[in-house]
Amino acid sequence: MLVVVAAATLEITGLIQYYFSQRGIREEATHRAESQLELTKLKIIDIVDQTEVAVHNSLWLAQWALTLPDSLWAVSRRMVEENPVIVGSTIALVPGYDKKHPLFSPYCFQAPGETAIRVSSLATEEYDYPSQEWFTKPLELGEGYWSEPYVDEGGGDILMTTYSVPVQDYSGKTAAVLTADISLEWLTDLVSSTRVYPNSSNSVVSRSGKPMVEPDSLMTDEKVHVFTGTVDKTGWTMTITIPDSEIFGSIRQVGFVVIILQLLGLAMIILILRSAARGQKRYKELNDRKERMENELQIARKIQMSMIPKIFPPFPERKDLDMSATIVPAKEVGGDLYDFYIRDEKLIFCIGDVSGKGIPASLVMAVTRSLFRTVSAHEDSPAKIIKTMNDSMAEVNELNMFVTFFIGILDLSSGHLRYCNAGHNAPLILTDAKHYLPVESNLPLGIMGGFNYVEQETDMAFDDAIFLYTDGLTEAENINHELFGEDRMNAVLSARRGSDAHMEAVKAAVAEFVGEAPQSDDLTMLFIHYLKGSENQQKERRLEMCNDISEIARLSDFMQEIADEKGLDTSLAASLNLALEEAVTNVIMYAYPEGKKGKVELEAILRDGSIVFVLKDSGTPFDPTAAPEADITLSAEERKIGGLGIFLVRKIMDSVHYVRLDGKNILSMTKNI
Amino acid sequence: MEVQINKQDNVTTVELIGRLDTPASAEVSKALEPVAADAAGTIILDCKDLEYISSSGLRIFLVLRKAAAAQGGKVIVKSINKDIRNVFMMTGFLNLFQIED
Repeated sequence: MLVVVAAATLEITGLIQYYFSQRGIREEATHRAESQLELTKLKIIDIVDQTEVAVHNSLWLAQWALTLPDSLWAVSRRMVEENPVIVGSTIALVPGYDKKHPLFSPYCFQAPGETAIRVSSLATEEYDYPSQEWFTKPLELGEGYWSEPYVDEGGGDILMTTYSVPVQDYSGKTAAVLTADISLEWLTDLVSSTRVYPNSSNSVVSRSGKPMVEPDSLMTDEKVHVFTGTVDKTGWTMTITIPDSEIFGSIRQVGFVVIILQLLGLAMIILILRSAARGQKRYKELNDRKERMENELQIARKIQMSMIPKIFPPFPERKDLDMSATIVPAKEVGGDLYDFYIRDEKLIFCIGDVSGKGIPASLVMAVTRSLFRTVSAHEDSPAKIIKTMNDSMAEVNELNMFVTFFIGILDLSSGHLRYCNAGHNAPLILTDAKHYLPVESNLPLGIMGGFNYVEQETDMAFDDAIFLYTDGLTEAENINHELFGEDRMNAVLSARRGSDAHMEAVKAAVAEFVGEAPQSDDLTMLFIHYLKGSENQQKERRLEMCNDISEIARLSDFMQEIADEKGLDTSLAASLNLALEEAVTNVIMYAYPEGKKGKVELEAILRDGSIVFVLKDSGTPFDPTAAPEADITLSAEERKIGGLGIFLVRKIMDSVHYVRLDGKNILSMTKNI
Repeated sequence: MEVQINKQDNVTTVELIGRLDTPASAEVSKALEPVAADAAGTIILDCKDLEYISSSGLRIFLVLRKAAAAQGGKVIVKSINKDIRNVFMMTGFLNLFQIED
């Protein structure tokens, strides 16, 4: 269908184009022919005028010479001598005008190819000039007259014409006829040399239709276009004949070529359509492949994310440690990593940044993380761990990828921190006075095997925090390509907050700064808040309930005590009470099977800037944070009766995390105050 | 938790006194069953002495609202304190009810 429409459109366009071209060409031909006619006419008139002027200028002389007929020779001689176009001239007396010469016609002429001027008398019996047209017509008309062209036998068979005017004597009596002969050879040259088309033909006929310039080729019965123009004075009509094929031949040829081209174009359109159809198929295949790859990337992302601890607080039982971390790959998978775990009362943690991004980086990241876990499992020296990792990675590093890396081992009982840096940026220590942890830069992992890394150490006190990050933070770009930078980072980190709140604040600041700009690099942050010794500084309260709804009353009292202790205003206390009631109700109602007794434990950790509530039960695994959020924008008719409980918990608390650990559901809820 | 229901002509006034928490919501729900069954008129939930409400209490409000809408009646919530107003705001209930001081 499409092809038919395309073809029709193409052909109609072609026809319209042809029509207009033809019209244009016809106009062009007419224009050319008429211009040529006009031009030729002008040239003829020029010569005609020259002749007429020469004759008229000699009239006074002829008039004067009438009194002395013999001197008329001089007049005609002078005509020929002084006017190059005039080849012959005579003054023929009207018979009987002069008594002495009843017939008198002295004739001077120039034979073709000669410069000398010959003379002869036309007053012969056989010529009988008084009966010649050139003599009778001007007398008859009383004015100048151009004769019919004639062939002058005496002058080399040249086509001639004669202009003759009557001459009056001083008394006003018509006495003679003064003539000027001009050769029409120039006319033949002029007319036949100016063709408008190679095969067009020019011709000139006289007043009476006598051919003066013959058309040079005989026309067949072909259609022709004829243009004519007449020189009024002489009555000569010039005709330009142009064969139709001459005018429209080229356009027909062009038209033919156009049609051929159009057919070719049509064929190409069909080919293109067919290949487009094939292309679409290929596109679909590509798309499928892309989709498959995206699916695989998503899976890769899940695998990668599952390699790093993401549940915070990661150690809800530990009062001496509060941690938070985030990793935001620029692409589906990234080359950043962090990891941590506790072994022998030591927190072993690391952060790293693989050179490059995307899948290659993610593979190196996975290797690095595995090595970290394996090597650090039995080794307490960060420098030794890093050296072993480096040797192992440098050995098989054909792609020259490297990893900037930082390992810390924090003795949780003493606060002693041993660390080793492999080309990573220095972490920040957040105490009352914030500063960068002094680090040796050493070498990134994977560059040179056998390198000996320098280990460093420091001590952390209660409430000290260490903030580790990759350059994706400081080098986060906004649309103006400005960097987030260390100043902004330091500004955000100035406030003392809980680790979760810290992380959220930095993320929010980066998000606000970056705006619409695409994320250029993986962004990873790890925040470790050391709280050993908090026994003196932080208070804990504990409430043990059973799975009975009447326990809510005790919960309310419990919350009241906390509010009193922390000096919370009643609104905040009421909000927290509501959130806790919702969370606890959820456990009481759904954690344990109908009729089965179960324990519900609630712990509140009261810190300077926050309260952390940890709710535990031994019921069936259930993650309330996984429930879909209630849609509060719906109308009353559409609103679901339930689902508001966990919604309120999330709304009121600053962070809510769920973890299933040791057969227990653990829900940590943090409220910054 | 105390509930007082007072019907005059077409207007049913429900006075809620105390804390409408999860344990209380069961009895309040039961007490309001006749109100929900006869909700063609105007129901005024007078909350001037309501100290606290949890999601189970909100459920009761929503059930009444739906019953009234189904029977051509309406529910007016009166004199909620600022904490309850805050809960109403968080949950979008401010838009569901006609609230009066």
